[in-house]
Amino acid sequence: MSPDLIDPSERNTHREDGDLADGLRRRDPLAMEILYERLGRQAFGLAYRILGDGPSAEDAVQEALLTVWRQADRIDAARGRLNSFVLTLVHHKAIDALRVKRGQQARQISVDFAEVEKVGADFSERVLQSIASGEVRAALTRLPEEQRRPIEMAYYEGLTHLEIAAALDLPLGTVKSRLRLGLEKLRVALRAGSGDELRRS
Amino acid sequence: MNCDEVEDILGAYALDALPGELSADVTAHLATCSKHPEAAELRAVAGALAFAAPEAQPSAALKTRLLEALREESEPADAAPRRIGILGWLKPPVRQRAVPYALAGALVIALIALVITNVGGSDEPRRAAISLSGENNAGAVVYELEDGIIVLDAEGLKPLDTAQTYQLWSIASGKLSSLGLIGTAPNGEALAVVRADLNAIESLAVTIEPAGGSIAPTTDPVLEGKV
Repeated sequence: MSPDLIDPSERNTHREDGDLADGLRRRDPLAMEILYERLGRQAFGLAYRILGDGPSAEDAVQEALLTVWRQADRIDAARGRLNSFVLTLVHHKAIDALRVKRGQQARQISVDFAEVEKVGADFSERVLQSIASGEVRAALTRLPEEQRRPIEMAYYEGLTHLEIAAALDLPLGTVKSRLRLGLEKLRVALRAGSGDELRRS
Repeated sequence: MNCDEVEDILGAYALDALPGELSADVTAHLATCSKHPEAAELRAVAGALAFAAPEAQPSAALKTRLLEALREESEPADAAPRRIGILGWLKPPVRQRAVPYALAGALVIALIALVITNVGGSDEPRRAAISLSGENNAGAVVYELEDGIIVLDAEGLKPLDTAQTYQLWSIASGKLSSLGLIGTAPNGEALAVVRADLNAIESLAVTIEPAGGSIAPTTDPVLEGKV
């Protein structure tokens, strides 16, 4: 077997993720093991951040990964998108479980790989560069409390803007604009961060 | 819903912080209006918040439960394809193994190295491969699939009853750590994917332990090898 058999242009991260997606589509449990080892700690960390207890967080991760397994036919290659898809599912499962815990109705937001994929695919690639350097956490920490808190309440607590306004005793308009402003700042920070990453490499 | 109304709640929309019907209205508007190019980026930024949560280690039981659930959902599998699986999709097609074990192992390693050497932008091959050996032709190769994730590909392991399991261990500076449990196929083959930093490990060993695994090995290794 000669090394020439493999086109050098195929030696990149996408190739690897294509293999993983392919393995999932073939229902090879090994592909799921790889996905689990790659992303399990991040997925569990996210679910734990939302739910605050290990068993519920593990349930959310398991449900999300089973959904990936069932929807494997719809998964496409690039690595960043597979990761985003999995974590989006984990987020939704965990938020649903949290709402049930609180006695609220689960929102049952359906997550479709196609939808995750079309969300600014190009931008997500750049965002991923930042993620590698822990940039997201840093950027969130740098936001002023008055913007960070509403964003955290929306993302990690699954509250609607009305619920956030009530909890913080703020006018709805203020919450709307702080959510927007905070996200805009994160966007700028992540773009700047990923720019640095690209320049360094 | 007009453009101004959409802009007013776009942040909340990106964070899924709108009641369902309002969110659906925004989605419908965005599908036909090109005046909100930042909408997709804001959603991507909101999605990236997943990475702001600190990583945490789930219990070892989660992986076992997950894999069991997969098996329950899948078609009753014929025993053989697991190994074909890894040779089939993880790497370029390889002839089925009619070659001696060590040679096949080397082939596999060479192919993997070719495919994934460039991951992470580094040109340096850093995919170490380790051979583990044991009695009665039991053997395994371990290779690094990507940073911090290794694959153990074993054969010749005797089938165990449900009261026992194979467990993989790493040894570094005289300290033993469990890397996880290993399921075997009836033909004595096993494939396992676990987290391990090969740079920090001196040797690997596989032992037979009571089902559920042990905190420290309770039997002598059936496979072992140096990194």
